[in-house]
Amino acid sequence: MNKKTKSLLWIAGALFLLIYPRLFGIYYANIVVTFAVYALFASSLNLLLGFTGLLSFGHAMYFGTGAYGTALALTHIPGLPLIPAVLAGLLASLVLALCIAPLVVRVSGNAFAMMHMAFGQLMFVLALKLRDVTGGEDGIGGFDIPPFSIPGVISLDMTDPILFYYFAMTVIIGSLWLLWFFTKTPFGQIMVAVRDNAKRVDYLGYRVPHTKAVVYVIAGCFAGVAGSIYALFQNLVAAYDAYGILTSFVPVMMTMVGGVGQFFGPIYGAAIFGLIDEFTTRFTDRVELVLGLVLVLVIMYAPYGFAGFITKMRLRWAARKAA
Amino acid sequence: MDASVAMYVAQGIHGLAYGMILFLVASGLTLIFGMMGVLNLAHAAFFMLSAYFGYQMLAWTGSFWLALLVAPVLTAVFGILMERFLLKKVHAFGHMGELILTVGVSLIVLDGVKAVWGTESLPLKMPPILEGLVQIGGMQYPIYRLFIIAMALMLLAILSLVLYKTRLGMVVRAAVSDAEMVNALGINVPLVFMCVFGVGTWMAGVAGVAIAPILTVFPGLADQMGMDAFVVVVVGGFGSLGGAFLVSIIGGLISSYGVQFLSQYAAVLMFVFMAVALAIKPMGLFGERE
Repeated sequence: MNKKTKSLLWIAGALFLLIYPRLFGIYYANIVVTFAVYALFASSLNLLLGFTGLLSFGHAMYFGTGAYGTALALTHIPGLPLIPAVLAGLLASLVLALCIAPLVVRVSGNAFAMMHMAFGQLMFVLALKLRDVTGGEDGIGGFDIPPFSIPGVISLDMTDPILFYYFAMTVIIGSLWLLWFFTKTPFGQIMVAVRDNAKRVDYLGYRVPHTKAVVYVIAGCFAGVAGSIYALFQNLVAAYDAYGILTSFVPVMMTMVGGVGQFFGPIYGAAIFGLIDEFTTRFTDRVELVLGLVLVLVIMYAPYGFAGFITKMRLRWAARKAA
Repeated sequence: MDASVAMYVAQGIHGLAYGMILFLVASGLTLIFGMMGVLNLAHAAFFMLSAYFGYQMLAWTGSFWLALLVAPVLTAVFGILMERFLLKKVHAFGHMGELILTVGVSLIVLDGVKAVWGTESLPLKMPPILEGLVQIGGMQYPIYRLFIIAMALMLLAILSLVLYKTRLGMVVRAAVSDAEMVNALGINVPLVFMCVFGVGTWMAGVAGVAIAPILTVFPGLADQMGMDAFVVVVVGGFGSLGGAFLVSIIGGLISSYGVQFLSQYAAVLMFVFMAVALAIKPMGLFGERE
């Protein structure tokens, strides 16, 4: 594919997303927003899992903290505009990541995964028990969603699902683009090098724990943005959805199913999960059972996920064309 | 004997009993980890599955003892099947794949039991012999909890005898430290792995049936136990049986006295304990490897 067709495809995709809610209506627009939130959440995890080789079973910490940050800010600060509310969620996740990063950047592998599971559960239990702040199981809901406004220029009502769709998609696609850009920087290359051979990176004079810490904090921040948009979208944040163990597993599963280590892997994964969820709930309540089966089958037969499958097909196609 | 001492002792017994159950679950987890370097995230799901099997056996046969005998074996069979046909296949893809595979299996089991047995909590009645209290030295103890403590201590004794006093145990310990070398010496290491996996899930199964009369059988059974068992394995040091034993007892006592004195924050205490322990010894109390 040359550059011209690629950019044409991108423009076509953007145009499609632009007219999508007009074509399919509010219900399908909301499905796409949910998908986009999880795509960003899983992509931020992929920065750790796929690019730096750190498996976290507690990434929901940052998603949940972002969601609670935004929800609490909107509940307690009257008249807070929309963008600062999102930034409040990002800031909450940033602070948490800065606190946890020094504890976890020196370990990797199983220890890293398990420490995150434990910290994630700690946050979950705290969210359940600190009822006065978080509302426990019922969570925080019904806060006012401020309009998106540039004073004197424009004011868009965010309770309108279609307008919210445009706002959420802009923020999420912008964040995804930033993440993509980050993987292309020289620093992003060091990150991949840490995954492949941490010792050699160390000998080359780069500081491995510091590199991991920076990646970790960035991944946490973007998960926080995803959580923040989720809070605005649902107008409700509750402990199970925000910090539950399944919320930590879901982005890991999406990344594995979509293709670990490839930038678009988690995005495919989020789309596949969205489709599975949409279709299985029509037939059965046992969505987790289906997800578990899909996960096992993918690990067994397609360990590089959907993105790996596409790459393989493309290589095969190219080989046939050359022959 | 005055009331506050009696309360301390009673909570102590509760804590010890829970600690023993915790040890049964965590020891399997830590053994499997020591052998294969895989943390089996489906372990707690097997623990719960066994409790359901126990309930079903009791419903069919009416005998608690038969349930305690058969359900863990059935669970171990499931564990071995998973090791043989799933875990082994993804071994080439590295630990990450194995870890995530166990998550998938755990999801299937957790949701599967809901599909078969529903979501309400099912009672598993203890046998009449173990009901009630026993009087020792002017104090009353619940018999069932003493039974759990005795049974776990017995299993621990057998396990350590086999591990440290027999040839088989020597092979297992050798395989833990260098599987490749042991394989080269002509010992069928994959078979040893499979046996250890089976024994590990069997112990989790025993714990599952043993705790069911106290907590009843419900789908959330795995959550609390799974988390506590992981904390035990992490704090005790990955792969260390002695560490698992010590930390299980500490953990049991922490949660039991925690409920008494700080009921609001009892659930957090385990994690606080873990954070403190890891801050002092990052590899766990008895851990040598990551």
